[in-house]
Amino acid sequence: MLAGKGFENVMNMAGGIKAWDNPVAMGPQEQGLALFDGAESPENTLRIAYSLEAGLCDFYLSMTKRVQTITVQNLFQKLSNIEIKHQDRLFEEYLLVSGKRIDRDSFDKQITDFAVEGGLTTDEYITLFKPDLDSPEDVISLAMSIEAQALDLYTRASERGGDERSKAVLQKIAQEERTHLEQLGQLFNDL
Amino acid sequence: MPPIQHREDIMRWRQFLTPVTSISASKARNIMADQSPEAFNLVDVRQPGEYEAHHIPGAKLIPIAELDKRLDELDPAKPTLVY
Repeated sequence: MLAGKGFENVMNMAGGIKAWDNPVAMGPQEQGLALFDGAESPENTLRIAYSLEAGLCDFYLSMTKRVQTITVQNLFQKLSNIEIKHQDRLFEEYLLVSGKRIDRDSFDKQITDFAVEGGLTTDEYITLFKPDLDSPEDVISLAMSIEAQALDLYTRASERGGDERSKAVLQKIAQEERTHLEQLGQLFNDL
Repeated sequence: MPPIQHREDIMRWRQFLTPVTSISASKARNIMADQSPEAFNLVDVRQPGEYEAHHIPGAKLIPIAELDKRLDELDPAKPTLVY
């Protein structure tokens, strides 16, 4: 159908979704989009993304206290460090885009608590994925699921109409989430 | 301009002659990893319930029955990956 309507490069994924053995996202198309109003400025978009990363970082840190295995505690610590680095990058981007001079502490105080990155709450993630929290494999799989959900959310948000600069910001964040996903895959392979 | 019937014939022939490549899931993954999300169309043509259960992150849901009416939501100049 597409090939005859001007689409020059159409690829069909053989086996469909059943053949896809990589992280998936779930939920309806509108899930989590309420976080990103289409009229948000790029500054607010970055602020929201920063909040989501902060939520995930807190989640990972809280998990270090809930698990018994040292290896898994270290793993959660590593995951939270990844999110802190991402927050650092988002803050830099915020300064660049907004042109504002604001220190990190003041910026942190502006942040509202949202759901964890990906648009679901931590409890919802735990209920959905039921990970064995003392299994490094399960923990990384959980993190990959959250990143996949985040990639999906940022991509969907970028496809909505609205401010072109916000769209570009969301596309950039989505690409970073894809990179995170690749890094987690590598972490999983290294176990 | 050719008569309508003739134009439809041309469209049909074009459809037959324009190649639709079939690629493996691992190749699809590599294509996605190599490009930014806005560089390609990723389309899920299944039903909404199937999409909600699980989908490839970033996929746009356009059920197959709606595809011909919603083509304007996709950029034909970009590579389009469908599942």
